[in-house]
Amino acid sequence: MKILVCMKQVPQKDAPLKLNETGAWIREDVSYEVNEPDAYALEEALRQKEKHGGEVVVITSGPARAQQVLREALAKGADRAIHLEDNAFVGFDALNTARAFAAAIKDDKFDLIFTGLQSDDYGYAQTGVVLAELLGWPHATIIMQIEKTDSGIRVKRELEAGYFQFVDMPLPALLTIQSGINKLRYATLIGIKQAKNKPLRKVTLAEVQSAVGANLQEIERLYVPQKTKNTEFLEGPPAEVAKKLVEKLRNEVRVL
Amino acid sequence: MPDTILVIVEQREGKLNRVSWESLTAGQALAAEMGWTLEAAVVGSGVTNFASEIAAKKVVKVYAVDSPQLEPYTPDAFAAGLKQFIMAKQPKLVLMPHTYQVRDFVPKLATAMGRTAISDCIGYKKEGEKLLFTRQMFQGKLAADVSFTCDAPWFVTFQNGAFRGDKVEAGAAAAPIETVKVDIANNVIRNKPQEVFKEAKQAVDLTQAEIIVSVGRGIKEQKNIELAKQLAEALGGELAASRPICDSGWLPMDRQIGSSGQTVAPKLYLALGISGAIQHIVGMKGARTIIAINKDSEAPIFEIADYAVVGNLFDIVPPLIEEVKKAKTGA
Amino acid sequence: MLIFRKPLEGIDRPQMPADVVIVGGGPAGMACALRLSQLIDQHNAQHSDSQLSKENIYVLEKAREIGQHCLSGALLDPRSMRELLPGFEKEAPLDAEVTKEAVYFLTEKSKLKFPITPPPLRDHGNYVISLNRFVKWLGSKVEETGITIFTGFAGSELLFDGDRVTGVRTDDKGVDKQNQPKSNFEPGYDLQAKVVILAEGTRGSLTKQLIAKFDLTKGCNPQTYGQGIKELWEVPSGRIAPGEVIYTMGWPLTTKEYGGAWIYGGKDNIVSLGFVTGLDYPDPRLDPQRVLQDFKQHSFVAKLLEGGKMIRYGAKALPYGGWWAIPPVAGNGWMILGDSAGFLNAQRLKGIHLAIKSGMLAAETAFEALKKGDSSAATLGQFQEKVESSWIKDELWKVRNFHQGFEHGFWAGMFHAGLQQFTGGRGLRSRYSGKAGYEHMKKLAELPADGGNEAHLLGPAKGDGRLTFDKLTDLYHSGTKHEEDQPAHLVIHDTDVCNNRCIKEFGNPCQNFCPANVYEMVEDTSQPNGKHISLNPSNCVHCKTCDIADPYQIITWVPPEGGGGPNYDGM
Repeated sequence: MKILVCMKQVPQKDAPLKLNETGAWIREDVSYEVNEPDAYALEEALRQKEKHGGEVVVITSGPARAQQVLREALAKGADRAIHLEDNAFVGFDALNTARAFAAAIKDDKFDLIFTGLQSDDYGYAQTGVVLAELLGWPHATIIMQIEKTDSGIRVKRELEAGYFQFVDMPLPALLTIQSGINKLRYATLIGIKQAKNKPLRKVTLAEVQSAVGANLQEIERLYVPQKTKNTEFLEGPPAEVAKKLVEKLRNEVRVL
Repeated sequence: MPDTILVIVEQREGKLNRVSWESLTAGQALAAEMGWTLEAAVVGSGVTNFASEIAAKKVVKVYAVDSPQLEPYTPDAFAAGLKQFIMAKQPKLVLMPHTYQVRDFVPKLATAMGRTAISDCIGYKKEGEKLLFTRQMFQGKLAADVSFTCDAPWFVTFQNGAFRGDKVEAGAAAAPIETVKVDIANNVIRNKPQEVFKEAKQAVDLTQAEIIVSVGRGIKEQKNIELAKQLAEALGGELAASRPICDSGWLPMDRQIGSSGQTVAPKLYLALGISGAIQHIVGMKGARTIIAINKDSEAPIFEIADYAVVGNLFDIVPPLIEEVKKAKTGA
Repeated sequence: MLIFRKPLEGIDRPQMPADVVIVGGGPAGMACALRLSQLIDQHNAQHSDSQLSKENIYVLEKAREIGQHCLSGALLDPRSMRELLPGFEKEAPLDAEVTKEAVYFLTEKSKLKFPITPPPLRDHGNYVISLNRFVKWLGSKVEETGITIFTGFAGSELLFDGDRVTGVRTDDKGVDKQNQPKSNFEPGYDLQAKVVILAEGTRGSLTKQLIAKFDLTKGCNPQTYGQGIKELWEVPSGRIAPGEVIYTMGWPLTTKEYGGAWIYGGKDNIVSLGFVTGLDYPDPRLDPQRVLQDFKQHSFVAKLLEGGKMIRYGAKALPYGGWWAIPPVAGNGWMILGDSAGFLNAQRLKGIHLAIKSGMLAAETAFEALKKGDSSAATLGQFQEKVESSWIKDELWKVRNFHQGFEHGFWAGMFHAGLQQFTGGRGLRSRYSGKAGYEHMKKLAELPADGGNEAHLLGPAKGDGRLTFDKLTDLYHSGTKHEEDQPAHLVIHDTDVCNNRCIKEFGNPCQNFCPANVYEMVEDTSQPNGKHISLNPSNCVHCKTCDIADPYQIITWVPPEGGGGPNYDGM
């Protein structure tokens, strides 16, 4: 199976974020890391390759720093990488990112494309599904298990409230992968060393420019959400406090 | 003719998903503010009975978008069916709850129509002529006001809990219901979904819990965890903990809330004996309602609590369990 | 029951040959790698018949990313950088050139400005930098050379063959709390290296292993240390100019503790401030993180910070001992650089330039070793000679007795420091002796129960959430993160000492000197003294203070699973 994994570099979870001059994006002088669900998507692709043979290709878009994500993926066992390198990609909406990816892989023939189920920065949860639509492929989201079948694949979709569902799909297909589907491996020293010699194709903005258009949605401003809480202290003997709490649970919180 | 807001409510397995009411509340508020018309649609096969449930609310019209191909749910059928329907109706704004099902088909639907969806919004703002939708970014550390830069229809999904479903207004009279048959060719549907089933997950996914009872150091001893567990069971919630509890092995690590554990945003977070170090707070401050019981009146948890009880949890929790049980049985 | 980290035994480890392994990607290690690459490039350009390869030169860095564990004030004396990369100022991330400096002596309610800035604290021509950003940049230069930096990999043990260091074992990954392999276990590698260069920073764990094995500090003064606690603030504009440098002495410390504060103005209204407390204070209840919180409440500092926001926190130990405390820095297969060796000018509070210079000199030596195919003590010993004939020694020799002068308190220290200033560092005698800092710690029974004059320094800081912070809040701002399911990397050799002796004698000072709440005595009715020691290893900011300051010397800091630790973005 030939699998493409779409990966993204996002600010580290604890990175202190500051707004840039435009007020519509963050200052980029923070530490970055691999978007967590994407790491699981990569791991799943590597496991599928180990089972069924084939190739794992990783793709990302973003400035030079984003290459780190691809290097790590190559070190863990991906075979080659594609980097759409330009700062402009950071501001792309889901549709444009998917268009750029589709343009960059037009000469490749993949059986599967994996993405993480959403990114920790924008949190659209859309790019994968949009890419499937652009390619005319079937998709399934929030996947917890993948088995190859005679006619394609059988995947386990996570639904809400502890429900799941198996779905049979033909190939090629796109899947968005849920965190926790597997246990992540560590990169090894030899893997890191070998990664230096694996192919990494750079794609410029100009090469995909004709495929993208104006963003269809735009961030007008970014800000720190303000939350004001009025704490109500409930007083009295325990039995009375318990009654007051239940009254709140019933009438205000509405969970009873 | 005024613009139309279309709310697509979600039904699954023959039940209306409660979060649909939240989208309807949002739709009613937007309709009032913008002077637009509010309509609703329910999608599936033989869904007229859901449509009448919606029609009792304050909406101008309810559509039952119907096709045998829409059952069971597949993204292919939903995108194809809704595309036909929306192309015909040309609403300005299409609102939906940000459920797993909606996430599965809306990006496809919007793309198929050459449009975009602003997903997982927590509110909206009208600024002059501009309609902005607020969504969380960077895992809630920042919020963004986002606008559409394309033509209608605009697709918007709202986060679970962003609006109050119980505030949805009833209509003066039942709204008319129109059944719209959509035509979905057989070969459009590529996925073959199997039966839905429930399964105890290997790891507890507290992020999906609506009610969380969480214990901190104030619980003192491992054997006292049982008390918190009883409260969680009475409330129908999950049990969780701050780090020291999991570090001591009193609860498994997958029940840890905070910067080194899970980040949750339940409807109710009941903190028992948790002081509220920032490491814990970052994992639960998104909860809709926080109740804190702690004997230290200076505990920082009280700064973010909605309801606070200064006192000994061992005195308060036992009668609380009894009261909750009474309330549940309607006694 | 505490289970401590230890390389797993009886497993097959991957082997990897190496020419040079540099342990630690800080300023010393990066400068070393960069200089080595330069020398190899020059050599290869001139000798087409005997090419040297960089293929098997490696830097191990335990942080997940380059620079993430680098913490300093920081002021950079550009001397060594100008030698390493002439014209580096044009491309390096420098915040500002120092334009203004002042030294104050603080009392609780007032401040006294020194009429002239004492020469050692004159910083014109130096640069205010973020060491984190500077090292990130230096690391990117190293990566361009083709030398491989293994980020997220710690050196867990040195490998020996007789009296020769033959390599480094990297950390085992995927080991659970019980020290058992998990499903994604990856054994640490044995890097079989011709030359091992230790650039681990202060109190390096492999350096400690090496020193112990060969008794390297025999005849040296004991190394003495300070603990620097730093906060990075964003303040309203106009409070302090970029490049403005302020030092203070005195309050909140009394004459019994050694230490002082720095305040540096960076760009974009970022202020670096911190307090260095000598780890030779007498009262075990003193808490250096609290010292910084007290310092900030001085009206002089509070005014500067008012309306600002604390954005980052960190802590790190630094070696003060000076020339007489530096062990031999080269031997059979090994060299020691930077803070690991103790190349720090205690009087100027600067070590980055010396770390870089030591890295460059070690690179020259390693280069000779590679050329000759000999990395025995005979060749690597040249590093020792190079250091002694370089300006490193000139600079450290002049201040060789500086810190020892303060062993008997502040005023004695000022007397000796003044005297040494006029005698080329000699003072009353050419070599002042000293004793290890932890030996200065007094038992509770010898101290006033209420703390006496030190009362305001003792116990944890409360924090008002705006100007001052409790330790956990500060810690949150260090961005510290570790794999939670791993054995404790703070190896306590005998927890009975904690639970039965220390609790009575010193009151478990680990709870106070640890700037990250790693150590905690928790209620336990089954213990004779009602408490037992408990660890929160994933809070650890890798400052090494516990390894240094514990009065019984029973704590050994070893690296946790690689990739864990603080995130000193912008620090």
